[in-house]
Amino acid sequence: MDNNKTIEYDYIIGADKNIRDILKVSDITPLLQSAVKAGAAYAAIEDDTGKALYQHSGISESPSSPEVTVKKPLYIEGEVAGYIIVKADDGIINTIGELMLASINTILKSSYKALLATETHKTVVHQSFEELLETNRKLIQSENKYRELANSLEKTVQQRTEELRQAHAKLLTQEKIVSIGQLAAGIAHEINNPLGFILSNINTLKQYVSKMKGMLVFYRDAVEKGTVEKELLGQKWKKLKLDFVFQDIEDLITESSGGAERVKKIVSDLKGFSHIDEAKEADADINKEIDRTINVLVHEIPGDAEIIRNYHEFPLFACNPADLCQAFFNIILNALQTGTKGLKLTITTGYSNGNIRVSFSDNGPGMPEDLRNRIFEPFFTTKEVGKGTGMGLNVTYEIITSYGGTIDVESKPGKGATFTISLPVTERAKQI
Amino acid sequence: MIEYDEFENRMILKLVYYGPALSGKTTNLLRLHDLLEKQGRGDLTVLDTKNDRTIFFDLLPFFLVAPSRLKIKLKVFTVPGQVKHDATRKAVLQRADGVAFIADSQLSEETTNFESFKNLEENLQFVGLDIEEIPLVIQFNKRDLKNTITEADIKGTWGPTGIPVFLSSATEGWGIVETFGTLVGQAYDHIDKKHYLKDKHGLDKETFIQQLTRKINEVSIIPSPLAGEG
Repeated sequence: MDNNKTIEYDYIIGADKNIRDILKVSDITPLLQSAVKAGAAYAAIEDDTGKALYQHSGISESPSSPEVTVKKPLYIEGEVAGYIIVKADDGIINTIGELMLASINTILKSSYKALLATETHKTVVHQSFEELLETNRKLIQSENKYRELANSLEKTVQQRTEELRQAHAKLLTQEKIVSIGQLAAGIAHEINNPLGFILSNINTLKQYVSKMKGMLVFYRDAVEKGTVEKELLGQKWKKLKLDFVFQDIEDLITESSGGAERVKKIVSDLKGFSHIDEAKEADADINKEIDRTINVLVHEIPGDAEIIRNYHEFPLFACNPADLCQAFFNIILNALQTGTKGLKLTITTGYSNGNIRVSFSDNGPGMPEDLRNRIFEPFFTTKEVGKGTGMGLNVTYEIITSYGGTIDVESKPGKGATFTISLPVTERAKQI
Repeated sequence: MIEYDEFENRMILKLVYYGPALSGKTTNLLRLHDLLEKQGRGDLTVLDTKNDRTIFFDLLPFFLVAPSRLKIKLKVFTVPGQVKHDATRKAVLQRADGVAFIADSQLSEETTNFESFKNLEENLQFVGLDIEEIPLVIQFNKRDLKNTITEADIKGTWGPTGIPVFLSSATEGWGIVETFGTLVGQAYDHIDKKHYLKDKHGLDKETFIQQLTRKINEVSIIPSPLAGEG
């Protein structure tokens, strides 16, 4: 029961009662009748204002002796509440008067007590009933509240789950952006080098062109003036070092086109890796996709590292090839970034029982079991703060599992690590 | 306040004697009835007691008239102390103008005293009365018995609350009128604040207390016009 709730009762214990509330006709009438029977000419009860409430008159007879009126007060709670009026012969008036007064006061007293008890009882019962109703109302209210809460809880959980899913998706996208950024930095460096010497070569070629132009202008002028002399022409040729220029031009062009080829290859590798010109869904040759991934990582491969490709033939795999490259990228990059001297990364592909299996096995530092169990969790990283997002292998995990595949890792400290990916080949893909 | 009828010029006030079962609430009223002048009060109505235990309530009314002709009726009630009559206690407490808490001094009754006082706090709140506001006095009754809580302990517990505390023996008849007089005085202050008993009705506190606590064989100075016999 809420204590702040106050209940106002209709009947306040202690409220005044008047004589009419207390005395009933059925109680009083016989008494008044008896008084008349006993010889009174008139018997009545008045309220405190003098208004007659109950009265009874006898048959008018010629009085044998003078008629006398008696008026006596009636009390409730000690206050005058009314009067009793009796008219009778002088001889009997006192007897009847006293008798009536005693009887009516007794009735008044006991009726008053009975009335108080009844009113109190009614109030208490009413109050208890009101309290029960109130309790019931509150119970229903709280039941509804909890039901609503239960309903909204389900909704809230769904909502939060959706929010988490979206946040995770957003993080995955961010991870892609981060790795693309890393990739772009490496690639930029790769492209910058050939581009540098190509630009430098073009500059040199510009100078060579002006030298040749000089020679040609000298020759044309000489022809126009008719002063063409073998010796003079020879001197000019020598001065402009045209023998060297012609030989160097050949080297410069060869070198520049080599550089351009390199840039072209890098761009094409990048395009291959990103599958930017392809449809989202394609049937991919996993071996080729691994190669594409390695190609864009060339700049990350230390000079003393060795990558052993142990490829086998198997069906094409229906997928988004860019996704798959991303998955391989994170595993290969991790291996390359272990800082192992004389790194040996063996990539084995194969097919058995409808599953394409790809394993990446390195001779790096490996990892203890507690780490091993957590590497696919989002935000888990062993790199310094700010260096790793902790999302790389989680992205790989998300991609592989989205194709119904599995990814496992076997590793022991100092014994390298082997990541094994298993991808189920669908019926449709096998027919191709 | 049970009723205030400005048109009829009358006011009915309610004081309640609260406390645990058998702490002497009814005996307090009986003693007031015996000790105080018949003029100015009505008879004691005892409603249905059973084995010395009140199951409804007792009622002792007092009457006085202010110089402004305002008729004031003061009804003093007891509540049933037994735990099971809580609903009756709530009903009686409704619109009370003051409460006398009658505690049983016997050491064995300490817990029941506290429980009953807690019950009073709860029920006051229930009927919308503020325990900080309502006139309240405490009486430690049965001081004539042995094994009672010491005066020092009572002062230690209740002194800091600022609530007036009285020691009494209702059976021996002492401490009763003092408790009643103080409660009546507090009730006067409380009502005077709202209804200007002194300024509007010419009734000052001393007269009010004196009118309600005249002992038998003290000379009555102002006879009450409403006095009567029950």
